[in-house]
Formats: sequence, C-alpha cells, structure tokens
Amino acid sequence: MGLNSPSGSMDPQEGQPRNAEGLAVHQGLPGAVQPATLQQNNIFDGQPGFMTTRLDAVVNWARINSLWPMPFGTACCAIEMMATAATRYDLARFGMERMSFSPRQADLLICAGRVSYKMAPVLKRIWEQMPSPKWAISMGACASTGGVFDVYSMVQGIDTIIPVDVYVPGCPPRPESLMYGILLIQEKIRNSAATSDDEWNAVDQLPETGSYLPREVLDRVTLPFGNSTNQNRSSGLVSTGAVVRVSDRRP
Amino acid sequence: MSDFKKGLEGLDQGPRPSESEAPGAPPQAGDLPPHPSVDALREEFGEAVLRHELVAGDEHIVYVPAERSLEILTWLRDAQRYDFLQDLTAVDYGGGRSLQVVYQLWGTATRLNLRVKVELPLDALEMDTVYFLWRAADWLEREVYDMFGVVFRGHPDLRRILMPYNYAEGHPLRKDFPLRGRFSRAEQTRRALSMKTEDHYSPQELEMAQALGQTMPDPFNSDQTEQNQFGGMGGAG
Amino acid sequence: MALRRVVYNVTRNPELASGGSLVHAPVVPVQGEAREVHEDVSGEHMLINIGPQHPATHGVLRLVLELDGETVVRCIPHIGYLHSSFEKLGEYRDWNQVVPLTDRMDYLAPLIYNCAYAMAVEKMMGITVTERCKVVRVMCMELDRIFSHLLWLGTTGIDLGAFTVFLYTFQQREKIYDLHENLTGARITTSSTRIGGMMADLPAGWVDQLDQFLTGFLPVLDEVDTLLTNNAIWIGRTQDVGTISAEDAINFGLSGPNLRASGVSYDVRRDRPYYDYETYDFDVPVGEHGDIYDRYLCRMEEMRQSVRILRQAIQRLPGGPINVDDPRVILPPKTAAMNDMESMIHHFKVVMEGVRAPVGESWFSVESSKGELGMYVVSDGGSKPVRWRVRGPSFINIAALPHMIEGALLSDVIAVNASLDIVLGEIDR
Repeated sequence: MGLNSPSGSMDPQEGQPRNAEGLAVHQGLPGAVQPATLQQNNIFDGQPGFMTTRLDAVVNWARINSLWPMPFGTACCAIEMMATAATRYDLARFGMERMSFSPRQADLLICAGRVSYKMAPVLKRIWEQMPSPKWAISMGACASTGGVFDVYSMVQGIDTIIPVDVYVPGCPPRPESLMYGILLIQEKIRNSAATSDDEWNAVDQLPETGSYLPREVLDRVTLPFGNSTNQNRSSGLVSTGAVVRVSDRRP
Repeated sequence: MSDFKKGLEGLDQGPRPSESEAPGAPPQAGDLPPHPSVDALREEFGEAVLRHELVAGDEHIVYVPAERSLEILTWLRDAQRYDFLQDLTAVDYGGGRSLQVVYQLWGTATRLNLRVKVELPLDALEMDTVYFLWRAADWLEREVYDMFGVVFRGHPDLRRILMPYNYAEGHPLRKDFPLRGRFSRAEQTRRALSMKTEDHYSPQELEMAQALGQTMPDPFNSDQTEQNQFGGMGGAG
Repeated sequence: MALRRVVYNVTRNPELASGGSLVHAPVVPVQGEAREVHEDVSGEHMLINIGPQHPATHGVLRLVLELDGETVVRCIPHIGYLHSSFEKLGEYRDWNQVVPLTDRMDYLAPLIYNCAYAMAVEKMMGITVTERCKVVRVMCMELDRIFSHLLWLGTTGIDLGAFTVFLYTFQQREKIYDLHENLTGARITTSSTRIGGMMADLPAGWVDQLDQFLTGFLPVLDEVDTLLTNNAIWIGRTQDVGTISAEDAINFGLSGPNLRASGVSYDVRRDRPYYDYETYDFDVPVGEHGDIYDRYLCRMEEMRQSVRILRQAIQRLPGGPINVDDPRVILPPKTAAMNDMESMIHHFKVVMEGVRAPVGESWFSVESSKGELGMYVVSDGGSKPVRWRVRGPSFINIAALPHMIEGALLSDVIAVNASLDIVLGEIDR
C-alpha cells in the first residue's frame, strides 16, 4: 500500500506525510479523499489544510441543511415517504420540504419502491440528469436488493443500475428509519471533501452491461437469497436442491 | 385439544367444508336452482355447450369450443344481457394440458354471474377477440397475450402491455417459464438499459410521429437523446 | 396551402365514438382513418410524453399525448413499469404465504386486499368464518375504504392545487396508521388475514380507539367539504370534465365510484352481498353526470357511509373465537403446541407443508375503494395455488382514460387521472 514504494509508482498516496512505519497518514477530516492526479496550482493542491477544511465544513453545512430530495417513488415505500413529509414526521425540519420532482434541481434521489427492468432506464436517466454533487438513498427492501420480488421482471437492487450511498431496509421502512437514512447521508456529506471534484467523475458505466457492475459481479450479487423463491410447486418439505446458480438456468 | 389430534389425521385431505346451518354460508351444490342462462344457452346452441360445472357452491361455469366462442359470447351479451365483462384471464395447468381462457360475466340488470371457459391446445393458442363486445377486453386481452401468448384475432392493437415491448424471454405466466426468467440478471439488465426508441412506443405513436414530421428520440437512454427535441420527461427539467 | 393526406390506424371503435348508446358492432377490423394535415403546419400537433416519473401520475404511469395546442387529440397510456409478477409469485407460495403479497398490490387499502383474498380462498374451500371474524373483517374493509379515499382526496387536492387538504387528510391517515399498527404490527403492509380467520384477535382497547377516530374524523371531513365542495375553482376544474356516459362506463368495465358517478347503481356490497352487508344500514351514493365532480361527491359520501357502517359494526361486534375451529386450517393454540406432542407435529405440518385445498376454483369479488376487486383462485388439491388472478379495478379503470380525455385540455388530463383513483401496484401487479 504505502510501504516504501519506489518513486514514480502508481501509489495514490504518494506525497503524503508518512509515519515511522512508512504508512501514509491522512491529515484533515477522516474520510477526506486525496485525489491522486489533481493538477491544480491553488490552495486545494495536495494535502488538506486549514483553509480547505474550513471551506469544506461551510459548504457541507450548507449542503446538508438544504438537501432537495428527488422522490423517485414507485410503490408502497412512496406512501411512507409521503407520510414522512407530512405533518407527523415532518421532513421540513431537515430543510427537505421542497421535494424536487425535476431531477435538474435535486441533490438527493430517494428511490422508494420496487424498480422493474422496464423502469430501469428511466431511473438511470433521472440519475444522470441530476447535477453533481448528488447522493442516492435506496429506500426499502425492494430498492436495495429486490425484496420479496426475486422474479423475472424486477431489478434486484438499484445499485446494479446507479451508485447508492445509503440503504434503508424495511418493507416499508418506518418514517423514522427513512429519517435515520437521511441523517446518515448528512453524516456522509459532512465528512466529504466538498472542494475536490474527482470523486464525482470516478465511476463510469460499463459498455457490456450499461450499468456500473461487470457481468460476473452483477450475476453474483443478484443470486437468490434464502430458500423461499426457490420453492417449487410441490410441498415445501420436498428438497428443492441447491441454490439456483446462473449456470443452472435452462437456455 | 383432542380435536387437533383428530385433525392431524385429516391434514392431507384439507379442510372440511363448514356445515351450512349458519346463515350466509354458501349453499351446497345440488340444492341450487339451475342457472337460467345455461338452460337458454343449451337451447340455443345445443352441443356447442361442451360442459356445465358448478364450483364453490354457486359459481356456474360453461365450457364452449374456441370456434364458436365469439358467437356464443355475442349472444350472451345481447340476448342474455351480460353487459359487464368482469374479468378475462387464462389458466395454464401445466404438464402440456390445454390452456383455459376464462370469461367472467355479470349482467347489471339481471344480476347474474356466469363464467365461460374456452380450452385451447398449447399448439393452437388463437381465438377471436371480444374487443367489439366489451371494450374492457381491450387491455384484458392484451394482458392474456402478454402473459400467456394467446393471440386474439381481430384485436386492433394486440401488443405486450406489462412487459417491455421488446421482451424476448417468452410469456411469463406459462408454467414452463421459470420464475426468475430465462436470461441471467446481467443479460436482463443489459437489455433493459439498451432499449431503443421502437421499444418504448407503440406502432401508432411511431406512425403519428412520422406523419407529423417529428422525430422521436429514445427518451430514456442518455447517449441517444437530444435534450430539446422531444417533450422531455414530463416537461420537467 | 397543399394538403397532405395521412393515413394511420385509430384504436377507437367507430361505433362507440359517437358518444351515444351502443350499436352492435360487426366483427370487422378497424379501418384506417384518413386525416388531412396542412403541409406547412405539419408541426401543429405535438407529441408529449408524461411520466413514468411524474408527480401527478400517481405512480409510474406513462401517457403519450398528441396535443393540438392545449387540446388532447389522442392519448395512449403505457403501463407495466411496476410489474412485479404477483400472480406468478403466488404460484410458489402456500395459501397463507400469499397474504403478505396482497398488501403490496393496493398499498392504499391493504386490509381490503387481505380480506378479499382470504374470502376467495375460503369460498373455494367451503369454509365459513366465525361471526366475530365477519364483523372484524367488515370493520377492516370499511376502515381501509376511508383510508384509501383520504389519500385520494389528499393527492387529488394537491394535483389541482389545494395543498391544505393534503395535510388534513394525511393527519387523519396517521390515526388510521396507528389503528393498523395496533391491530397488526405494521402501518401499511398489514397481512392480517389468514385462511379461516385472522392473524390475531383485536387487541384490548382497539375498538375504543376506532370509536375515537371516527368521532374526530367527521369534523375534519366537514372541514374539507367546506374547503372544496362549493369552491369556485374546484367546481370550475371538475364539473363537466372527464365525462363518461353510463353505457360507456359499463362497456369499459368501470367499477366503484367511477361507475356510480355515471349513474349506474352497481355496488358489490348491494348486488352480491357478503358478510351480512344486507343487514347493515347504509346508502350507496350514485351520481348523475359522470364527471370528476360527481366522482368527488360519491367518494366523500362513501366515507361518511363507511363511518356509519363502522359504528354499526362496533355495536354488533360479537364475542367468541376469531378463527374457525378447523384444525386442518388453523394452527393449534400455542400452549397446546408447546406442551403436547401431537399439537406440535400438527403445527409443524401446517406451517411447513401448508394448508391443503381441495380441487376447485372460485372467482370472488368485493367492493374495494377503487372498484370491484376480484380474486380468482384455482387449486389442484395442493398447498399452493395453480393460478391466482387479481382483477384489479384500477387496471380496467385506467383503460377508459383515453376515452375520457380526448378533446379535453392538458390540465384536465391530470384532473381526470386523479379522479379515477388508480394505484399502480394494482394495475401492473
């Protein structure tokens, strides 16, 4: 990693101050990303210093307290999201009462509900239309992993389509859970380096799948979880055999 | 507690139907007056009425052949006044058995229910449409086509309704279709994310666009859309 | 100005287009209809795509509209963006395991779906539930009718610009969420019925809580009434908009308040009563004009009638067991299952193998808040359905949308869509 690597290597932590063992030591806020190839001659060069971390803190504070969510509500979770925005579990106290239905003016995509393969290009398009910085919450079991619906038409987790920051489990998650997820996003933003822009352009889509994951990884992460969907039509006591693998599928 | 011990022996047979002393219980088969429409149907069409069954206490089912289904259903709508098509669906029993297309009818004036079933062999899944009898059949028949592959002759717009228009894995509700689909998840994702314009629009819309001189770019795929050309997604952004 | 002759197919049956009574249509394919378009104003009509992600489509519905200025010339709806194949999933589940699936279809009135499914399967199996269970299920269904209509009221209000109504109705809905949670443990996905009864009996104090809710609810409904019913803007946007005649409504298969607003008095609770509905004292509101305003009035009145039914149900709630006394369907009581070997084996078998149903089928419908909800269950003697079909009323109601809005303005599209009270989970299943 950072152990006495020869100069001219591809070590992303080159140029960092190192401690006695030769391990790179981060300075500044924990979780601050050090861009490897930032070629700017300004105060943001190299290690984070006092000015950049104070600026980060101010910018992040502004971002956290005025997140404009894009409610991408499809099914039952959308109703719980509406309930979170309503009077009892008020989202306005987080600065989020301005639900932006236009992706162009939103920071936070809350994908609430199950997403089918027919809807997947729509979700991807909405995500791409959002200007960075942007974050995504996958609300509910169906958006996170496919939930109850391990079937031919459902996306097994929207993280196969778009990059997700926070997963909120539940079916549907209670409004308190969604609010906790939002607080986690706020925590993530608070700890991010607002002034470096490389992380937003870091991930590219793959031509082979169109999503952010290669084929083998996609097939592996979408393997069925547990036994229930592998039940065949006979009595539940009959052994259903091993977990269905991609190679078991009939052509 | 001893009931449960006795019940254990009967588990394989399923529940016993309740004794029908209680009011509101469904009447048992046999003590029900015969269905007036079934009698009239038998009079009118004779041997075209293949079978008549009574299920669930009071539900009458009539089996008719596929060639005469439109004629019989037309007669039922006009002469017997079944003006409300409650449901149109199909049942695949699996194992190579015939597919059953099920029509559930209700007469708002006569207040009678009737179920009409048509059995189609799996290699001849075609029958006449009832689109012009009940407009409710428009989308119902499209759904049966999408899920089972039954082609309704004469339907003006028979295309998939629930699955994407370019869906290539088959007809999902058939018993030989696996629950998780025929392609791997990666392939399904790839196909979903690479749908073209023709996959999002019906033939009417493409013709309309052509007639109006409007090009229709794919609104859902990033690399093919020009921002201002189309109406945009809901006019937003 | 040269005219260009354009021929394209229309999807409408010419006989119905006249808007009058139905003519017996001969069986011919629909002819292509010629339209003449001015050549240099070929861009006069515009194709607009609404959805599937749109705040006012009430879910993932996509409408492609051909507009002439602001007037809708043609509308083609596209659905399927939420297709979760409930019906195929149901074939892999035991009879009781299907109940949690029913919540997720109409997530605005989950108890109605739970009850409808259990009633269909019980009809197929020939089981009659106990008197207490009947009254409890009636209470659940009427409560969820109010629940669903409140959401409809709130979202329709917001679509047409009345934001306050949304907040009022959601405040009342939170009280119903509390009732759901006390009864079943979950706010939305209740899964409270089982074959032969309910998951559990009413908790202590639930009936009093329901009574309190009903007392507090009617004044709020009156307040929303004062806000909307005689409001000039509301009337202007909803009267004579989205009209459908009675014959067309029957032919399109509309049901629920959409059908009754057009003057057809068809309510499953009246025409094929179940669970002693004929002994309850309630009215079924029927409209006249078939426009949005009549649908609004029908639903408002239905909420009041539901309150009436609920009060009667609370009065007549009998004691006794909530589950039917059939060991082949119902699990043994926990004390027996823990202490007695045979009961434990019985519990194990019912849970692991599932309830066996006799060979048969049943098509059963209830009056859901959206319309006539039908459940068709087919059994081949096993513990899983051969076919579980849901006749979702919204699926058939939304098919009539093009008929209602062709010729109307773009802003009316949203109003009509809202007035149909659709839920996409039920449409796409």
